[in-house]
Amino acid sequence: MSTKKSKWTTSLIVRTIAAWGIALLLFFPLIFMGFTAFKTELQAIAVPSLWAFEPTLENFHVVNERSDYVQFAWNSVVTSVVSTVLGLLIAAPAAYSMAFSPTKGTNGLLLWMLSTKFMPAVGALLPIYIIFQQLGLLDTKTALVIIFTMMNLPIMVWMLYTYFKDIPHEILEAARMDGASVWQEFRHVLLPLGIGGLASTGLLCLVLAWNEAFWALNLGAADAGTLATMMVSYSSPEGLFWAKLSAASLMAIAPIVVIGWFSQKQLVQGLTFGAVK
Amino acid sequence: MSYLELKNVDKYYGDVHAIKGVNLTINKGEFIVFVGPSGCGKSTLLRMIAGLEEINDGDLVLDGNEITHQAPSKRDLAMVFQSYALYPHMTVEENMSFALRIKGEDQSMIDQKVAKAAETLNLTPYLKRTPKELSGGQRQRVAIGRAIVRSPKVFLFDEPLSNLDAALRGQTRVEIAELHRDLNATSIYVTHDQVEAMTLADRVVVLQAGVIEQVGTPMELYEAPANKFVAQFIGMPQMNLLSASYFSGISADAVDVGVRPEHFTIVEAGQGSISGQVELIEALGNETLIHVCLDCNGEKLIVRQYEQPSIKVRDTVSINYDASHLHQFDAKGEAIR
Repeated sequence: MSTKKSKWTTSLIVRTIAAWGIALLLFFPLIFMGFTAFKTELQAIAVPSLWAFEPTLENFHVVNERSDYVQFAWNSVVTSVVSTVLGLLIAAPAAYSMAFSPTKGTNGLLLWMLSTKFMPAVGALLPIYIIFQQLGLLDTKTALVIIFTMMNLPIMVWMLYTYFKDIPHEILEAARMDGASVWQEFRHVLLPLGIGGLASTGLLCLVLAWNEAFWALNLGAADAGTLATMMVSYSSPEGLFWAKLSAASLMAIAPIVVIGWFSQKQLVQGLTFGAVK
Repeated sequence: MSYLELKNVDKYYGDVHAIKGVNLTINKGEFIVFVGPSGCGKSTLLRMIAGLEEINDGDLVLDGNEITHQAPSKRDLAMVFQSYALYPHMTVEENMSFALRIKGEDQSMIDQKVAKAAETLNLTPYLKRTPKELSGGQRQRVAIGRAIVRSPKVFLFDEPLSNLDAALRGQTRVEIAELHRDLNATSIYVTHDQVEAMTLADRVVVLQAGVIEQVGTPMELYEAPANKFVAQFIGMPQMNLLSASYFSGISADAVDVGVRPEHFTIVEAGQGSISGQVELIEALGNETLIHVCLDCNGEKLIVRQYEQPSIKVRDTVSINYDASHLHQFDAKGEAIR
């Protein structure tokens, strides 16, 4: 009688353990934060860390009362959603023309756009701060929408360009021969074919805008403050309140984590597009 | 009556002069085939007519209107692409009705036209399918159907059969010919396959390096090629091209003489004017192609024979030519008439 070979070979066991180990290591700060959010401040700073305790929702109450979570969350929603939509509206036509009517300068232009991401953001802080100050836009959602849009544009154009490049040119030419105007070609052919690319690009930029802290802190910490700025307010100025900071952080990242969880397929597809065929 | 006219049309890609001052007149209802080797500019010329490539110089006139710089969407031409270029997210029905829908035509009229085209092309059972659920041949028929429903001024075909296998290619070729006969529409068809050119065309346009070498009916090209290029490009196997010294009673200007394989005959030793050694015998069933090396000085010729040959490889043979079917070419390669 032949014995069925076990599924679990040594190499598979080692690889599984390694994978879980790395995943836990990466995820540990989040787990730690999750636990700490339900501790009292005293439990939170206990050394060694407590892993068995009676969970409390007190931190969440305090954070909500003190910080007006709804206001920060609303700012986050407005700035990230509007900047993403605006970005897509600008990036899609740009990527369309670069993908389907490239010129000698297209590659250079694409690289130049990406190169703006090589510079540390703080390098541009002063001029941007002064411009926004002159325009009376400091601490407004408008300022954050503008800056988030600008910040994400190079990535959006690049991702959409890669997507559009994969759509056979002849399909668009066929639409043109069928009498479609540029808008009809975009609406009836490019949009349905590129919807996956637009969705994953939009999702990624939504996450990036949601999590953005540098510009949010420097240009809009009070009235226009996003959840990222709310989190920060629990660290330095009032001393370190680990439990409340954790609760605030958990509340700040929860919406985007849920969105990211449900859309991870699109996100991964978007980021690896063209890399695997 | 001239329907589509190209007047001194030029196309440049940077420094490359791809289409060189092409002049061509196409009549209404004609089936014109552009043929030539890869890179000769035949597809470029078609795309210039379609408006998908810009015309750098010259004029394009369709039905009395100058359309040189008009957008492709405004030209009322339909194109069938080599890759089919169907809209992958639409059903067969939606693909075929797309042009009419965006034009805002009446729905009942659209349904009627699509149903009629689908019936003509045997696509009725597939109307609700998407292109990925169809075979290559069916996809090609959808692409043709998409063109038919519009009743365009001119049909443009860009190597439409080259993605099909040999059997399907032959069948679809016949279908296109029948369709043209039924619709009597003006068509321009690009191919590198001379069988398609010869069987489909009312007139064939032979192109080389962006220049029209000859325009004529298939038989004109076969029987009276304008130059060595056309002589050798049309006909399978190629026309034999030998130096004039093998022939007598020809023009003093003739440098090369072309003889089609069927105009050579193998005769008894000593009876023919050319002799050589048999290099290869290709028996194709209905015909036999005999490759002969002429006194082995580098020149070779092919003899086409319809009866079974009694000779063998390496036999020395004597060959006669049909003096009424000689094609004489001068030093420039132009035919001497």
